[in-house]
Amino acid sequence: MSLPIELALVALFTPAAMAVILALVPPLRRTGRPAAWLSVLAASISLGASVWLFADQLGHPSRDLLESVRWLPHAGAAMANVGLRIDGISAGMTLVVTLVAFCVQVFSLDYMRSEPAADLGRYFTYHSFFIFSMLLLVLAPNLLQLFFGWELVGLTSYLLIGFYFKKPSAAKAAVKAFWVTKLADTGLLLALVVLYTHTGGFEWTSHPGAEVATIITLLLFVAVMGKSAQFPLHVWLPDAMEGPTPVSALLHAATMVAAGVYLIVRTNPLFAQAEFTREVMVWIGSFTAVFAAVIACVQTDIKKVLAYSTCSQLGYMVAALGAGSVMGGYFHLTTHAFFKALLFLAAGSVIHAVHSNEMSDMGGLWKRMKLTTIVFVIGSVSLAGIPGLAGFFSKDLILEGMLESGHTVPWLMLLGAAFLTAFYMGRVLFTAFFGELSEKAKHAHEGGWEMQLPLVLLAIPALGAGYFASRFAGMWHLEYELHLNLEAGAASGLAILGFAVAYVMYGRGAPVATPAILRPIAKLAASGVLDRFYEGLYRVLGLKLAGAVGFFDRYVVDGLMNLSGYLALTAGQKLRRLQSGNVRDYVFVVAFAIFALSAFGILR
Amino acid sequence: MIPHALLILVAAPFVAALILLAVPQRMRLVTRLVSLSAALISAGLSVWVAASWDMARGGFQFDERYPVVPSLGIEMHLAANGWSAALLVLTGLIIVGGVLASWTQERRDQEFYMLLLVLVAGVFGVFVCQDLFILFLFYEIAVLPMYILIGIWGSQGKVEPRGPFKFVYEFLDVGGREYAAMKLTLMLLVGSAAILVAILALYSEAGGTTFDMIALARHHFDPATQKLYFPMVWLGFGALAGVFPFHTWSPDGHAAAPTAVSMLHAGVLMKLGAFGVMRVGMVLMPEGAIAWAPIVGGVAVINIVYGAFGAMGQKDLKYIVAYSSVSHMGVVMLGAATLTVDGWNGAIFQMVAHGVMTGLFFALVGLIYGKTHTRWVPKMGGFGRIMPGIASFFTLASLSSLALPGTAGFIAELLVFIGAWQSGHPVWAVAGAAGAFITAVYVLRAVKRIFWGEGPSEEFAKLGDAKHVEWGALVLLGAAILVFGFWPAPILDLIDATSTRLVQALYPLVLAVNP
Repeated sequence: MSLPIELALVALFTPAAMAVILALVPPLRRTGRPAAWLSVLAASISLGASVWLFADQLGHPSRDLLESVRWLPHAGAAMANVGLRIDGISAGMTLVVTLVAFCVQVFSLDYMRSEPAADLGRYFTYHSFFIFSMLLLVLAPNLLQLFFGWELVGLTSYLLIGFYFKKPSAAKAAVKAFWVTKLADTGLLLALVVLYTHTGGFEWTSHPGAEVATIITLLLFVAVMGKSAQFPLHVWLPDAMEGPTPVSALLHAATMVAAGVYLIVRTNPLFAQAEFTREVMVWIGSFTAVFAAVIACVQTDIKKVLAYSTCSQLGYMVAALGAGSVMGGYFHLTTHAFFKALLFLAAGSVIHAVHSNEMSDMGGLWKRMKLTTIVFVIGSVSLAGIPGLAGFFSKDLILEGMLESGHTVPWLMLLGAAFLTAFYMGRVLFTAFFGELSEKAKHAHEGGWEMQLPLVLLAIPALGAGYFASRFAGMWHLEYELHLNLEAGAASGLAILGFAVAYVMYGRGAPVATPAILRPIAKLAASGVLDRFYEGLYRVLGLKLAGAVGFFDRYVVDGLMNLSGYLALTAGQKLRRLQSGNVRDYVFVVAFAIFALSAFGILR
Repeated sequence: MIPHALLILVAAPFVAALILLAVPQRMRLVTRLVSLSAALISAGLSVWVAASWDMARGGFQFDERYPVVPSLGIEMHLAANGWSAALLVLTGLIIVGGVLASWTQERRDQEFYMLLLVLVAGVFGVFVCQDLFILFLFYEIAVLPMYILIGIWGSQGKVEPRGPFKFVYEFLDVGGREYAAMKLTLMLLVGSAAILVAILALYSEAGGTTFDMIALARHHFDPATQKLYFPMVWLGFGALAGVFPFHTWSPDGHAAAPTAVSMLHAGVLMKLGAFGVMRVGMVLMPEGAIAWAPIVGGVAVINIVYGAFGAMGQKDLKYIVAYSSVSHMGVVMLGAATLTVDGWNGAIFQMVAHGVMTGLFFALVGLIYGKTHTRWVPKMGGFGRIMPGIASFFTLASLSSLALPGTAGFIAELLVFIGAWQSGHPVWAVAGAAGAFITAVYVLRAVKRIFWGEGPSEEFAKLGDAKHVEWGALVLLGAAILVFGFWPAPILDLIDATSTRLVQALYPLVLAVNP
């Protein structure tokens, strides 16, 4: 076994072992903080191995390793393997996942401090299990194992959204997230079935023909729409904010929701054969980018703004991959993971300080929380795509890819979304961090070092990751060139304009009122049309139908069974009269029979 | 090599039941220990058979023959193929779990354990017996004790008279435990009658010299005969597998039965039905199977979707689990109907997966009922606070039920759906996958309603988690779900070795019909 494989195994199985130990030894788990520290220890070992693995991969950019063992048999041979595939793509993602996961766990040490010990242990057990599941997905050598990890991260998402399971809204959000993503995952399951039937394996490098590839990729894309919150299956993501804020940072911003994008990057050989699917992706991605950005502008809950922003940015990635810009999509995934995790953790730091998610309860935090404000500014500016920061490089690549592939309208939509992104981030910045100190913010202060360290750690790549674009491209065997042309200028100009408009509207300490043109949208968003549509479907197609089936089964199918029993019983009751025990009756029957038979014999 | 391994395996529970006759009533612990030892001997031998079954050799192994009625060609021929080996392991797990789960059974515990052991001896017998006549005998031994077990130890229910046959419901005591016991027994016995006819027909068609299935498999039955008798075997055994519309004994029966009986019945007895359809129906009458496969598969799809909706409409926890069994047994029958290696692997693996999953479910429902004295889901809520262990295991069983990767249920369903697509019925696969989604809807809803949210209400606030022996069944079956889910190869290799050989024999016939 070579060194990279060993490193990947360490990164994968240290958190897994920790999750198993914490799950199987309740007394240890219920100690709370010791369990939390053990989990952080496992995460740091995993991170160390990933850093080493990544550095090693940088030294051998063209290396592509595969190590697998038989998992399912078919006719005595292997039907499917499990194993590790280590190349530039998986090594990069492994680093992103373990880095963000490590930061989030350290952050949680302080953020979750007031939780009861048993719950704290449970929280960190889930976190350890998450790293394992996510890396299982990232390092998968085939689509089956990828699906395996995909569903396990869905499970951790369900468990972590429902972490406060006693709260009805959290319980509801967790179940909703599972239902929506599970519905979408049916597509991935069927994609596996079709892929295996047509190619005899679960490899994404196979060539099943254009038509089959289109079917497979469409099915895959349905799953991506669920996991990566694309319209109209995005409805679970805003609700998922019921989970603790560090969870939102890790799962619902940086890594798990990006799994859909990662899936497309990995299975790109299949997507490359399916032009129709890619066209669908461009449009759905662009629409989601604009749609979610508009809704983000009217939210008053800081986490909801960030959640819709995540939807919107995932839309960028999906559109980029649809347009054939793998580098754009994947690179944006990477930079987004850093700055969005940073933004969520900074928001967590604020929520921890003011005990509210509402932006109207914040305001003037700059005076109390210098570090948090600085990193939030870095994150926002990076997200908005101001030149020089990480987000600029990746967003520029996407826009360029759009235009190059001839998708002018989607390009314009994404440009519009870029403006909106800067606007809603500016809105958060100016209302929450600047202006007058609000009542609740008066006693705000920074968290402990556990909360500050991750902010600093994540701010570094959010600032500078863009300058490594060409190194990444080399590892991923993709083309990369930075063009500072007019189009790039347009996007940056719009971003600056967005901030400027936000400043004009909110810069002087104005309240978080919704801008007049957006009021109808705010109303629409608040009414939850789509949610109500799904709920209606659930009531009619789910509960009503289930009630009908229940009745039909109990009173018709079973009714017929009971009817046969009833008929047998009543027939028995009736026939019983024949055997009355009365000799006269028997004699009468015998006499009648003799008469009847003789009559029959004579007349014949 | 252990001599007479299969005979000991089958006889141990039976002998233990006889020993219990001699144990005084008041020696409760002895009763339990005798039962547990028998269960452990059989389970241990099952694992041993599975572990030492020679994959390279395949076919039937551990051959044992004991003449019974030589003049009619009846002999007790015990042997295990890969399927048997896998299902023996399942039965071993469930009976050990069942004995542990009834540890606190107080009323007439000795008779209860005796019947339980007799029942499981019958189950073991069916899985390893290669003689049709004796197989039928074992089948009846497995089915009949249910009548007494439900009739005496069962729980009462009541169904409101409604619907087009209202007068029938007013006349019968629908929902009561005698009703449930009687319905179950009668429906299964009608099935048995059909099976018996088919068995005798095959026996006489093949010359009336042997009941040995291995010998009968070599005989080429006339295709017309096969097409005539296959549906009798399908529906006859199928009634026990919950094939629509002969599944209605299952919800009432499972709901009325005491915990361990539900565990055994849903966990292994229903598998006897599906196993019978495959082993007797499809292997002995391949052309009949090919002709009837589209119907068998179509009905299986109805089972999956209809059962899942049925489960969603229930409020009684046991009915939810019982309907989910109807749905999951549909997956088994669907896999069987595909007549492909992957489909058959999936079908047998689903028997194992569903067995441990539903066994765990019923053990949990029993525990919850034992504490709260209710199975009515709307009365529950917030139980996660007071019984975190039960909540965790219930979630695990639910995840296997909705076929989450990492649990045994996933592998089974994946294989079955692949088989369905390969057999040229994509619709089956799509409907099956939809069934898995509907399952996700109702099981997670149940988890949420029982364990999450506000509560528990005052009446339940002081209840605790599982204790001592109660953990036994949970840990055993929960571990099985995860082990089979993460590392299915040991069990699946056994199944695959047999499926491959049987499907290869079938393949030329399939090609002849469907080139």
